[in-house]
Amino acid sequence: MDAIEKELDRLTNGANLSKSVKEIDKCLELLLAARTTIENDPSATISTLQTLEPGLKAGFQAANESLKGLHGGIGKYGKALDKKFKTTNTKEYPFGALGNSQPLINRAIMMHLLREGNFEIAEMFSQEADLAGSVPSVLELEFRELFSIQESLRRKELQPAIEWAEKRRDSLESRASNLEFELHRLQFLVFLFEGGAGGQRLALEYSKSRFLPFQKKYLPEITRLAGCLVYREILSTSPYATLVQDDSSWQSIIDAFTTEFCAMLRLSAESPLYVAATAGTIALPTFNKMSTIMKAKKTEWTSQNEIPFEVPLPDKFKYHSIFVCPVSKDQTTDSNPPMMIPCGHVLAKDTVQKLARGTGSRYKCPYCPADSFPKEAREIYL
Amino acid sequence: MTSKSATAVNADNNLLLEEPILRLPLEVLRKIFKSSQRCIELDGKKLTEFARDVAAKAPQVSQEKSLENLNTMITRMQTLKRKMETLQEEEKAVHAQSRRRVSHLNDLHSLTSLLEEGYESWSKTRLDRYMVDYMLRNGYSNSAQQLAKKKGIEELVDVDVFVQCWTIEESLRNKKTTECLAWCADNKTSLKKIKSTLEFELRLQVYIELVREQKLKEAVSYSRKHLSGSYDAHTSEFLRASSLLAFPPHRPGPYKALYAEGRWDHLVKTFVSTHHNLYNLPQDPLLHVALAAGMSSLKTPGCHSTLSARHNTACSVTSLCPICSTELNELAKPVPYGHHTTSWVDHDLIVLPNGRVYGTRRLADLATKLGLDNGKYRDPISGEEFEKAETRKVFIS
Repeated sequence: MDAIEKELDRLTNGANLSKSVKEIDKCLELLLAARTTIENDPSATISTLQTLEPGLKAGFQAANESLKGLHGGIGKYGKALDKKFKTTNTKEYPFGALGNSQPLINRAIMMHLLREGNFEIAEMFSQEADLAGSVPSVLELEFRELFSIQESLRRKELQPAIEWAEKRRDSLESRASNLEFELHRLQFLVFLFEGGAGGQRLALEYSKSRFLPFQKKYLPEITRLAGCLVYREILSTSPYATLVQDDSSWQSIIDAFTTEFCAMLRLSAESPLYVAATAGTIALPTFNKMSTIMKAKKTEWTSQNEIPFEVPLPDKFKYHSIFVCPVSKDQTTDSNPPMMIPCGHVLAKDTVQKLARGTGSRYKCPYCPADSFPKEAREIYL
Repeated sequence: MTSKSATAVNADNNLLLEEPILRLPLEVLRKIFKSSQRCIELDGKKLTEFARDVAAKAPQVSQEKSLENLNTMITRMQTLKRKMETLQEEEKAVHAQSRRRVSHLNDLHSLTSLLEEGYESWSKTRLDRYMVDYMLRNGYSNSAQQLAKKKGIEELVDVDVFVQCWTIEESLRNKKTTECLAWCADNKTSLKKIKSTLEFELRLQVYIELVREQKLKEAVSYSRKHLSGSYDAHTSEFLRASSLLAFPPHRPGPYKALYAEGRWDHLVKTFVSTHHNLYNLPQDPLLHVALAAGMSSLKTPGCHSTLSARHNTACSVTSLCPICSTELNELAKPVPYGHHTTSWVDHDLIVLPNGRVYGTRRLADLATKLGLDNGKYRDPISGEEFEKAETRKVFIS
């Protein structure tokens, strides 16, 4: 990047139009001066006019001359770019593009805009791209609610989130989510520490009225919270120091809320468009390398459903369990699912059949001395 | 588990798709340079010739007339100066814009890990840029402009160039060639350099339309004026076009293809690809490339499994996978799934009596959260509860 910046400096500092403009300006001044001369002394008209042509010629030549410097500067800047981007000859995704998927991409963008709370832009986009009906209108309402609750959480107001969670207590429970209790817990601490002189009383009353339904599941935590009522003034040096709230606890409650909210809509918590585009730019160098190699070897890639190489992505981009059969090295699919054999080892279904030579006869586990029949293998769900 | 290299930011690798944001301004600079060169050369020549003329005629005409001539010269000079100053302003704007872009790309060099917050915000801006690029290429220019404004990335996107491109595209779709021919005239030298056939094809289309309306005389004179010059380069097309005169549209004979409506679509495509070529822009929206590569790397055989209810895709303790989410699920159907050489599973797997496999830790955590009795697990997906004694260990190598 340094080389590019250097050439850019050269353009802004010298290799630009300023000199040519100055020369043009000089030509103009020459003409204006001539007019003044003629107006003051009409007898000098002819002699003055005769000086104009050579004067202008020289001026334009100088202007043209200084353009050469500009041309050179642009050329050098271009070379600096060539050098920086020399490796990027293959910009195309080698395995078929998304050319015919415009409506689906539009929908994904629309949902992304709603997710980010850009409702006006989403509205405009929906009109321009003629998306009426492709995204259920109820989804916009949901996202508006999500956004307004997030906003109130950012202002440290918990009530809207608590109301939302209370209405969905059963579904949250079945997802084993702590969200509702976490919100109440935070509200309790807010009352205790930000409620002024009456904070302790407020917090105590809140806990009495709200913690009851959670008593069975969260008793130890409720006890801890009750304990910190006593230590309010000296909490940071007390046994309850870990209960001190900071901004990160607010951020994590916002994240937890967002995840639960999206899960209720059967959507992922982070925008899929963002995750996929980011993963794509991380993966692209590998794709490029592969297509270069394939071009050089003039080989075609054969397996239609699977890309032929592994893309290294950070762990947070892994969402599913993946099982690769240790014998065949195939990823398991619907038609070739993972099977657990009696000794507890797992193989792909095709592998089991191959080991038993397709006859259903007894075979030995490739990983331990145990042997078994193929019919004893059972499908598992990862 | 992730190796260090998988999370390191390799700035140069991340810049694979970023070439156009510096290339395009460079092409604009070249255009500005060419325009100013033309200005200085043409107007300069005219003005000096005029000056010579005026001086030569001066002895024969009145002093007032000479002064008037001089004033004309001054007016023309002022016009030229204004033109040059406008160009200079444009140039300055492009410089500032390029600087902003370089510094945006440079921000990436200061990052070391893909897991840093800084990378996330950089990557979000990048997605915004790609969305604007996509919108502009599809003619959703108001949305694109609003989005760019809201995100403060106006200097990082090229609204004007794409809006111009879209306007010409639309005029071609409405079967008008004027705008596109004017664009060809503006870019004559560059088009010649890349041996573009765009102008010839446009002219040919105008001619075909004349024949279609059976304005044969006009067609012939148009052909003489605009097509015959390309006889050497496009001999066979020229001859075919000439024979077209004998075959009216209702009896096209072997010339059906020339009358085809599809030729207009072809012209639109040719124009767009020529335009993008000239500005060094990739033919596909950047979003397509990033999404296609990303979806493939994220996709697993489980994402579109017909048995998806049996897979742990919607597992309650984790977030939903982006490919399984509504936004991308349909879109990701045709792309191939990612390749893996090793299994990726939780530690200490156990299988429940219903055949589902989970990490022990996950089930234990869930049981605590749910306040289950000791010695019990709940399947997070089916909701069934099992005794610990009913489970058994699974070995995945």
